[in-house]
Amino acid sequence: MFVVEARDLFKSYPRPDRKGETFNAVDGVSLTIETGEIFGILGPNGAGKTTTLEMLEGLTDIGSGEAIVAGLDVKTEPYKVKQRIGVQLQANEYFDQLSLRELLRLFTALYGRAEAPETLLGLVNLLEKANAKPAKLSGGQKQRFSIACALVNEPQVLFLDEPTTGLDPQAKRNIWDLIRALNAKGMTIVLTTHNMEEAESLCGRIAIMDHGKIIAQGTPQELILQHAPEPPAAPLHGNLEDVFLHLTGAALRE
Amino acid sequence: MNPTLVMTRTFLRLFSRDRQAIFFSLFFPLIFMTVFGLAGSRADDPMKVGIVDNADNALSHRFVATLSANPLFEVHEGDEAALREQVIAGDLRLALILPAGFEDNGTPSALTLLVDAAQVRELGLIMPVLEQALVDVERELRNTTSLFSLTVEDVKARSQSYLSFVVPGLLAFTLMTLSIGGSGFNIVEYRRKGILKRLFVTPIQPKHFIGGLVLSRTIICMTQLTVLVAVAVVLLRVEVAGSFASLYVVGILGTALFLSIGFCLGSLAKTQAAIMAIGNLVTFPQVFLSGIFYPIDTLPDLIQPVAQLLPLSFVATGLREIIVNGAAIGDILPTLAGLIVWAIVALGLAIRLFVWKEVAS
Repeated sequence: MFVVEARDLFKSYPRPDRKGETFNAVDGVSLTIETGEIFGILGPNGAGKTTTLEMLEGLTDIGSGEAIVAGLDVKTEPYKVKQRIGVQLQANEYFDQLSLRELLRLFTALYGRAEAPETLLGLVNLLEKANAKPAKLSGGQKQRFSIACALVNEPQVLFLDEPTTGLDPQAKRNIWDLIRALNAKGMTIVLTTHNMEEAESLCGRIAIMDHGKIIAQGTPQELILQHAPEPPAAPLHGNLEDVFLHLTGAALRE
Repeated sequence: MNPTLVMTRTFLRLFSRDRQAIFFSLFFPLIFMTVFGLAGSRADDPMKVGIVDNADNALSHRFVATLSANPLFEVHEGDEAALREQVIAGDLRLALILPAGFEDNGTPSALTLLVDAAQVRELGLIMPVLEQALVDVERELRNTTSLFSLTVEDVKARSQSYLSFVVPGLLAFTLMTLSIGGSGFNIVEYRRKGILKRLFVTPIQPKHFIGGLVLSRTIICMTQLTVLVAVAVVLLRVEVAGSFASLYVVGILGTALFLSIGFCLGSLAKTQAAIMAIGNLVTFPQVFLSGIFYPIDTLPDLIQPVAQLLPLSFVATGLREIIVNGAAIGDILPTLAGLIVWAIVALGLAIRLFVWKEVAS
């Protein structure tokens, strides 16, 4: 059963450097995500990962193409889709003057629900911070809090945009454990990352994006078998980072 | 709970915790009003005038006494050179020189007035008073009685104190800053920080967000209006001649108008610095031109017609007509019409300019 089905997604924006011209930030993306899997989207900065996610989440208008998420057409029923999914954004800013408890209560109320904030805070290990303001949290705590905010509606699919970027190894592993625990309870998880170790250890399947297109898709093992560079007269070697660099090139991105 | 009400509650809670906003919106006008209230109760300072009495006779003494008895003047006697210095230094408004031949000898005596030419306007006000003093002395000497007498009777139709003029102006000013700040400034901040985007991850719709913002700001503005009017009436003894209901009608319309203007500005400005600049550009001239602190008819004739058409002018005029002149809603229909036209224009522009999907940027 597919929980996300996207066909030929396109999104164009005006070029920042040349007036009057547009470029395709997302250039014909098709993907399917099965219920219960952890699906990773990899790609250099500017590859179109976030725009793809935001179209699936109903945050950005779909330029053209189709997206069915949690059984609903995102184009025609974006608000119903939002009701069924959880989203963690890259930037995590909240109203400064509200405590974690109040913010969770706000988000819960906006879904028309009434779960106790304490349950969610307990789930992400932030119970003792219930009365703190978000500005007082460390990087890892902030990420855990933003995942808690994405869980207020018990979503069918959880979208995480670079959940571990900028975290120290301990905080990173803590987030991985949380993602695995949520997935073990049956939640489908879609995440973007730059971290190859993360993709390899968490994701069941991976799509690699560059220049708005998906250039490779499969399980980590499949990708390594198909794309890892093979030096002549040497046994097959390499890891997922080699695959990534081989496919997207070693040139520095923005 | 309805998402609009959830947002309303949230915005009210945010405002209640924003000490800076509360200080500037609530305490600033309150302090301002109180200062004006206290300053207004003091009588005007008398005008300092100098007299050089070169005649030094009974007639000149009587003239000086008549002038000194007038509460408008504070009379200083001295020699010409000294008084001339004081007029130049600005310590005296003017100096009057009574010639040596200042006596009742059938020929008119020529009095000289030393004055700074830059104060010609005041001269027009002073001359009749001086002439009156001269006429009084003359009548007394000639034993004639005046043909006419003028008695002043205060009909007390309305209090014309500066305080009662400035209170409606301050109310309008407060509504403007609270509304434009609440919509424009907040939207720019929420968008820049990504808070708007985070909110729109949830199934909340634009109408809920806007509805909550409008409702919460209207509650804040009406609370503010009530507090300020209460202080003015109870502590400063300002009389509200019209009904409180009409006061709230104009207040709510004004809030709607300024909120819409705020939404327009918030859509145009992409950064906090930009909204500060654009906000000041829109509010500053209105504070000076809309008859908040001084009546519009003290402005140059060319500017007056334009000043009268400013949004803040309509709100201030409406409130002033109700408070000072006891106007009912039916009496200020042209003002209300101007207010409503502005509100419709601003709302239409706000809807056009506000790009919802740009919350993501």
